[in-house]
Amino acid sequence: MEQATANIVPSAALAQAGLRFDIQHRPDFAILGVKLAPGQKVLAEPSAMATMDPTIELKAGTRGGFGKSLGRLLGGESFIVNTFTAKAGAGEVLLAPGAPGDVVHYRLSGNSLMLQRGSFLAHSDGVDVTGKWQGARGFFSGEGLVLLKAEGSGDLFFNSYGAILEIDVTQGFVVDTGYVVAFEDTLQYNVTIMPGLRPGSKVKSFLFGGEGLVCRFSGRGKVWIQTRTAAPFLRWVHPFRPVQKQNG
Amino acid sequence: MEAEIRNKPSFANVLVRMRAGDGLVAEADAMASMSSSIEMKARMAGGFFTSLVRRVFGKESFFVNEFATQSQGELVLTQPVPGDITSVALNGSTLFLQQGAFLACEPGVQLGVGWAGVASLVGGEGLFRLKASGSGTLWFGAYGGIIEKEVDGELIVDSGHLVAYEPTLSLSMGLAGGLFSSFFSGEGLITRVRGRGKVYLQSRALAGLAAWTNSNIY
Amino acid sequence: MQTEITCRPASSVARITLQAGQSITCEVGAMIAMSPELSVETSSHTKGSSGGFVSGLKRMFAGENFFLNHFTANAADQVLILGPGLMGDIVSHRLNGGSLIVQGSSWLASDPDIELDATFQGLGKALFSGESVFWVRCTGTGDVLLSSFGAIYEVEVNGQYVVDTGHIVAFEDSLQFEMGKASSSLVGSFLGGEGLVCKFNGRGKLYCQSHNPPSFGKLLGPMLKPRSA
Repeated sequence: MEQATANIVPSAALAQAGLRFDIQHRPDFAILGVKLAPGQKVLAEPSAMATMDPTIELKAGTRGGFGKSLGRLLGGESFIVNTFTAKAGAGEVLLAPGAPGDVVHYRLSGNSLMLQRGSFLAHSDGVDVTGKWQGARGFFSGEGLVLLKAEGSGDLFFNSYGAILEIDVTQGFVVDTGYVVAFEDTLQYNVTIMPGLRPGSKVKSFLFGGEGLVCRFSGRGKVWIQTRTAAPFLRWVHPFRPVQKQNG
Repeated sequence: MEAEIRNKPSFANVLVRMRAGDGLVAEADAMASMSSSIEMKARMAGGFFTSLVRRVFGKESFFVNEFATQSQGELVLTQPVPGDITSVALNGSTLFLQQGAFLACEPGVQLGVGWAGVASLVGGEGLFRLKASGSGTLWFGAYGGIIEKEVDGELIVDSGHLVAYEPTLSLSMGLAGGLFSSFFSGEGLITRVRGRGKVYLQSRALAGLAAWTNSNIY
Repeated sequence: MQTEITCRPASSVARITLQAGQSITCEVGAMIAMSPELSVETSSHTKGSSGGFVSGLKRMFAGENFFLNHFTANAADQVLILGPGLMGDIVSHRLNGGSLIVQGSSWLASDPDIELDATFQGLGKALFSGESVFWVRCTGTGDVLLSSFGAIYEVEVNGQYVVDTGHIVAFEDSLQFEMGKASSSLVGSFLGGEGLVCKFNGRGKLYCQSHNPPSFGKLLGPMLKPRSA
């Protein structure tokens, strides 16, 4: 068993030691600071770097072959993954997502975590992130049919739009599909239309009630939900956008 | 005068309690609400040249507001972006501010503009920078949370994350990595901050928000 | 019913615990997550009233949704998590018989006994205050949850108080407001970027928001992709 993890990457010893990190300015404008030991690495989505020490080397590349890269792409992430390595000595890199919101740390130890599209920020060596087809139930209110799946052993950082609340599910929990950020694979879920009290109110609630699709979790495990979704912001900002010039 | 920065770091605003004789200068449109005992007057920000440069290059207002009171009252100041506000007490010292960062100052603080150089422009920060000097309290703001860092040697900063810095520091432009990595990493050009002094960074960049928004709209 | 507000002021949510039989009325789309033993009913009027179609229509003019959601608990200790669409704050205001005038889109939820009605604040005030023509009037006894863009701060007005346009969230109806200039001279008002301001008179509670949404929109907008006309 020990051997299997040691084979993944040469620097597995460093990965197992865990990353030294802090997350400042939670929950609205969270920024992740990773203090790398000499030779240590952190991998992050493109454009996330805010500042870094000159001892750190940045390399853009793909990870996990074409299949996994394509999976990430379908999961709302980039083909490219940036690798920050403390080449010339210890150093710190600060990573920030584009969307306003929270950053949460999760320690993977051989298990897997399901993530909403676009919520990957960074991970240590030893963690793999790829897309996972969810079938028809993956219809997360227009969020797409593919979720991200993180597996392996190491540190994972994911981000949200709005603050992240952690919910320990023991007796079932219902979440509007647009607010799901991540959940442990020990949970089962199905997507349903929110039912109403009166006969016929199902359809009414779906069309006008705004509640639409909900994700019903059962079993035991953790769910992370975000306190806002991007859609209202995108609708709000629309009138402030420049108007396209007509040709001719 | 007493001032308190509230709701840090996301929706920071400044509650100022003024007494007769106190004065305050604030960015145009910074007033959210105030007691009716406070008087507000518009004037140019610094000299004519400073005001003009602020208007044309900094897309800031030509005018600033001056607040005073005959008795006493309170005033709430804010900025257009959600984010943090911090204050610095200047004692004959100088601080360079990026465009749009200035919020308010005591009357003893002089505002001027200085040439920031091509490195600053390419780094997404603009050709001119605001120079605050003199003595008194200076308030400035950011999009996102403000992070203070003491630089001793060099720090690499992504464009759009720099808010303010001490004049002992110099800026130069550089690539984020090799040619391939600089292009594909999404980082492109970065700013190298060199020397010894304090730098104020913002945890998020407005350009980052714009890029994220653009990837989600049609 | 127990209400706890967390993640203030920018990502605020209200965590409401309901006992069997208790219910709450909230803005459509405000539900983020909930316990499984809560049922939802959607209608165009508050629970006790018979307003129906007309009250729904009036609320629409006030910038709210035509429909309301009523959540009712079918078991003990059911949790409902509510939040507004945009980044911002939530506060709870206790009404004891009086009225609270709420800016359109700032009403988030209230006790089912609270009456909601649209109220006209005058065309001129609407045009110049940057708010909508209709406001929501909340009347009765119980809690009202308000939301905003920016942090919400409370001002106890006694005499006169000046608020820049776009910063009003709600006020007790013991207060009146009028439009006026911010500076002693009208030219100074416009040069200073403040233009017209709202002047509140009387004695009562006023809720303001720390940030003005259009100011942020005008700054971000030019950095975005153009939209089709």
